Amino acid sequence: MLQDAFVNIWNRASGYQAALSQPMTCLTAIVRNRALDELRSSARHAAESLADEETGTTHDIEDASPGPQALLEQAGDALAIRDCLDEIEGPQRQCLALAFYQGLSHAEVAAHIGSPIGSVKGWIRRALDKLKRCLDRLA
Amino acid sequence: MNYNKPELIDKLAAEYVLGTMSARVRRRFQKILRTSLATQRAVQDWEQRLTPLARAVPAVKPRAATWDAIERRTGGAARTAEKSSGSFLGLIKPALGVAFGVLATLGVVRLFPDAVIPIDKIVQSRSTLPESYVGLLTDANNNPVVLASSTRHGKTMSIKMLRKVDVPAGKVLQLWAIPAEGAAFPLGVVPAEGKSTFQMADTSEKLLSKVPRLGVSIEDAPVQTGAQPSTYVLTGNCVKLW
Repeated sequence: MLQDAFVNIWNRASGYQAALSQPMTCLTAIVRNRALDELRSSARHAAESLADEETGTTHDIEDASPGPQALLEQAGDALAIRDCLDEIEGPQRQCLALAFYQGLSHAEVAAHIGSPIGSVKGWIRRALDKLKRCLDRLA
Repeated sequence: MNYNKPELIDKLAAEYVLGTMSARVRRRFQKILRTSLATQRAVQDWEQRLTPLARAVPAVKPRAATWDAIERRTGGAARTAEKSSGSFLGLIKPALGVAFGVLATLGVVRLFPDAVIPIDKIVQSRSTLPESYVGLLTDANNNPVVLASSTRHGKTMSIKMLRKVDVPAGKVLQLWAIPAEGAAFPLGVVPAEGKSTFQMADTSEKLLSKVPRLGVSIEDAPVQTGAQPSTYVLTGNCVKLW
């Protein structure tokens, strides 16, 4: 997948728009989006496969080590923005960490924590709003 | 959906950068992103806020075979391009490690330390301002318009627009270094308002040590190395902050 992404970038390099983003940001975004699509597609196929086999189990996304919330805490310490992140609590914090560090969509976060997707969207939105306000204050 | 609403643009930009959009919605948003300056600015702002969070994610080095395979599939063109300055290979090689880290963790790995460590954190840790190059550009009425700054050995130029500049549709604001001797050379593109950053071709020390003035011109598109400015609409001093 990494090979495919970079070969595609190479082949389409002439279409790169410098005004849109920095080169490294652009490269990272392309690969990250490609990885997200791949991961979500794999998760979908795995879930369908399990359903076909009538195993009665669902596809779980494995927790990385350290987990997403631990990574968020480490980032807070490394960037000295722990105060900002501490303003984001409970499910807002959990959803933000799952979305950023495990690349889960709204629906996947909802399935992962067993909450309605509407609630998840609201929690993530409020988490981002708090982060934006706090970081803008620091800047 | 009304994509002219700033609140909606901000919300979509945040979801785009965070990665919670579905592939279908993301493709639709990317179409808007290509033409909407406001959307581009919103995405850049969210990239600046969220990308540093990936510092907690360790980079993962790809296997050597990965690069070899990419080289084979690009017909060896990448290796040839490496010999020229500013090559795509020079760009893509460090990105390989970065991207592999992304795959392993689905976070964005730290790329350029001076791009992601907020300047106020450096100041707090050192109790002094870091060694930097700073430019303050003014308009014809001597109003301060652009504050440009970059750490001495960094490649990231940070831009803060102190007031909005009216840029004709389809044009860009090009920032130039104006050396004491020799021709001006392009540094990057600045936004019409707000804040942004861009990567320079080399460190500030190498590019700006003999540059006493900066200028901004309005161009049709970001210019290439070797181009010359049309007319400066903003100019100002470039000073060493140490």
